Amino acid sequence: MTRTRRILIMALGLTIAAAPVTVLRVRAELDHAHELGKRIKCSCGGCEQSAGTCYHVGGSFSGPCDLAKTMIKEIQGHLDKGLNDDQVIQAMIAKYGPGAYVEPPKTGFGLVAWVMPGVYLLAGAALVVFVISRWRKRGVAAEATARNTKSVSPEILERARALARKATEE
Amino acid sequence: MDVFGSFALLLAFVCALYALLGGIAAILTRHPLLIKSTRQAGIAACCLIFLATLSVVYLFVTDNFSMSYVVSHSNRDLATFFKVVALWSGQEGSLLFWCFLLSIYIFSVLVAYRNKHGELMPYVGTILAGVQLFFLTISNFVASPFKSLAIAGSSGGLEYFAKADGNGLNPVLQYPEMIIHPPNLYSGYTGFTIPFAFALAALLARYPGEKWIHLTRKWTMIAWCFQTVGILLGAHWAYAVLGWGGYWGWDPVENASFLPWLTGTAFLHSVMMQEKRGMMKVWNVWLVFITFMLCILGTMLTRSGVVSSVHAFAQSNIGSWFVGFLLVVIAVCLVAYFKNRDYLKSENQLDSMVSRESSFLFNNLVLLVACIAILSGTLFPVFSEWFTGSRISVGAPFFNKVNIPLGLLLLFLTGVGPLLAWRKTSGESLRRNFLWPIVIGLLGGAIAFALGARDFYALVCFLLSTFVAATIGAEFYRGAKVIRARSNLTWLSSAVELTLRNTRRYGGYIVHFGIVMIFIGLAGQAFNQEVQKEIGVGGTVRIGPYELLLQAVDQKQEKNYVAERMIVEVLKNHKPVMILFPERRNFPTNQESGTMVAIYSTLREDLYVVYAGVNQGSEVPTIHVFLNPLVKWVWFGGIVVVMGTIVALLPSRHAALVLAGSKAPEVAPGFANAVPSSVALREGHD
Repeated sequence: MTRTRRILIMALGLTIAAAPVTVLRVRAELDHAHELGKRIKCSCGGCEQSAGTCYHVGGSFSGPCDLAKTMIKEIQGHLDKGLNDDQVIQAMIAKYGPGAYVEPPKTGFGLVAWVMPGVYLLAGAALVVFVISRWRKRGVAAEATARNTKSVSPEILERARALARKATEE
Repeated sequence: MDVFGSFALLLAFVCALYALLGGIAAILTRHPLLIKSTRQAGIAACCLIFLATLSVVYLFVTDNFSMSYVVSHSNRDLATFFKVVALWSGQEGSLLFWCFLLSIYIFSVLVAYRNKHGELMPYVGTILAGVQLFFLTISNFVASPFKSLAIAGSSGGLEYFAKADGNGLNPVLQYPEMIIHPPNLYSGYTGFTIPFAFALAALLARYPGEKWIHLTRKWTMIAWCFQTVGILLGAHWAYAVLGWGGYWGWDPVENASFLPWLTGTAFLHSVMMQEKRGMMKVWNVWLVFITFMLCILGTMLTRSGVVSSVHAFAQSNIGSWFVGFLLVVIAVCLVAYFKNRDYLKSENQLDSMVSRESSFLFNNLVLLVACIAILSGTLFPVFSEWFTGSRISVGAPFFNKVNIPLGLLLLFLTGVGPLLAWRKTSGESLRRNFLWPIVIGLLGGAIAFALGARDFYALVCFLLSTFVAATIGAEFYRGAKVIRARSNLTWLSSAVELTLRNTRRYGGYIVHFGIVMIFIGLAGQAFNQEVQKEIGVGGTVRIGPYELLLQAVDQKQEKNYVAERMIVEVLKNHKPVMILFPERRNFPTNQESGTMVAIYSTLREDLYVVYAGVNQGSEVPTIHVFLNPLVKWVWFGGIVVVMGTIVALLPSRHAALVLAGSKAPEVAPGFANAVPSSVALREGHD
């Protein structure tokens, strides 16, 4: 690798890295009730949004949701009583039911939702590794056959040419 | 005009029915006249759908309030271009619009290939007619946009009447992006019908060779490009209109649009294995099938009310029709596959675990896992209700937790894949290709850390983005260097020349670069800040380096709405930057209100200001301010992705043309017969 090439690649990489990260700052605090509202589903029934992000009005979706605002006030009320975050969430779930979790609980049937993506990934990865190993064995066998063949027939040569063409053409 | 439109739509149904039934007969009999007549029936259906669509637009523009659909989605004061847009603002019109876009694709295919692929096209035409027939059935008999307002008369018959004015268009749809977002998204959805038709046709016809896969790939890229643009425009619309400060909320409708995009992306990668190595034929065919099925499934999910969505405009009882159609599609695909699966026999062989082929397999794995995870998450509330009796919500936090690691894994593979050689990658090649990108990636991560990034995923994202950008840069550098050595062009010209010579490969790299930019933008979300505060005139809000001063609150009367707006002066480091005007619009016609967000956008961050209403007791206005870093990178990334896709769709320039004037190298006679000249002159590998 030449020096110029190294410098060019490094400059490109650093530009990409430096440009966005210059803006990084520490996250600001929104009022705590609003933050907690992001962990509870809005009770408007028109969407899957949290009370902290629900932004529709009157069944349409055109602004801050009044029901979400009410829920935020309830959360604030619980906080004013001295409840901690988990207690506030539990109080809201007690009132609105398990459907008010904005994400599935990590217990009972809700756990299935959390486990399944990992299962898909692991099962898929195992399948891919299995397929690759199987195809590799075929590749090794084909290579061995080719090595044992003393002369190359015109058919095999033509096939190899076709493969080479495929591998390089667009 | 309503009668004309309704009749045109009915006639289109008849033509499509003939194209389907006649097409089946043509396939069985191989009668040339029958083949020709069914093709012409397909073309006629497309033209008639065009006329029907034009009729609905005419009814909107002329304020024909005797039509139920026009009354529901328009009013006299609505601006003319929004009257045109109102075509797709509701269920009936959007389905007709769907038909219309599908007919443009079908028309293009039937006309462009009328004298080509004689064995394949009757199958393609028949399959397309089948899909078109389904949508025409819906538009004619289930959700017709041509219903007139009528009440039961005293004589027992129906008495038709017209209203003086309509109910108006949903306020959130009265935004310029609504003119281009649905057409793009629908073009993506409908566009996936064409690769589906080609893949199924090739399977049914046992079409020899690999030509069909080239056709399928090309049409998939077109649909994929539209889908990408549609998704990003939708995200931008949500960002600029809804006022919650974000652009992607994992709403079921958003998820539905993302699913075929994921499988389409997987296909665009794995198809290369079929083209280069003759591998994964079964997988590719099923990826195309599944992509189309996901388009139908997504439509069913969002229009049936099975899952709740902010896109409530589209909910109705037509879901069962889509379920039926989906079952038919699955049945046809399964029968076609089991009957002809020997046709898809592949020469699946791998030389090494460390190869381009393996990276594609893992790329497909991650894309498919993401797709299944999103689909199962979207449907989980329904499943939980079935199994437990109570509905468990699955919102954005769940999807973020599941998909962020998958996205980062995919980003990693985006960098690794192109650096691996086909068949086998040697240790020396690995060291040579990866050393500097890894060093640069680590440096990128270190810089991000030094500048205060402490969010783990964001840090990894910056590191991987730098790594991938370095690999892409290195690829361009290597190729351009060879061209430069031969032609004495500048670096930039060499890179352009390189791209034009191998548009697919380097267009793909440009797409990857766009994806990197999008990832950088997404990583910025980890550093979002927001403040909500009640402020009176003269009050201030501080966020990051900005101070916002509320100068006034006023009202302005527009033709279709009344706007209450804040006049907010933005100061940065105590210096005035600009004035922002966040609004709340009240639409008297349909008694609805909506926000109009004011955004001060730079490449570093977006200052996003929402007029969040007035405190009912104190009458003090509430301002909601977000500081969202790097959002613009998402939109710019999207533009780069589209540019890359367009480049990849262009035909590659023959290498010999580039070297015009220079003498072509001597090629041994035997070699010249074996390898095309273009190959002999091409650098690099793919």
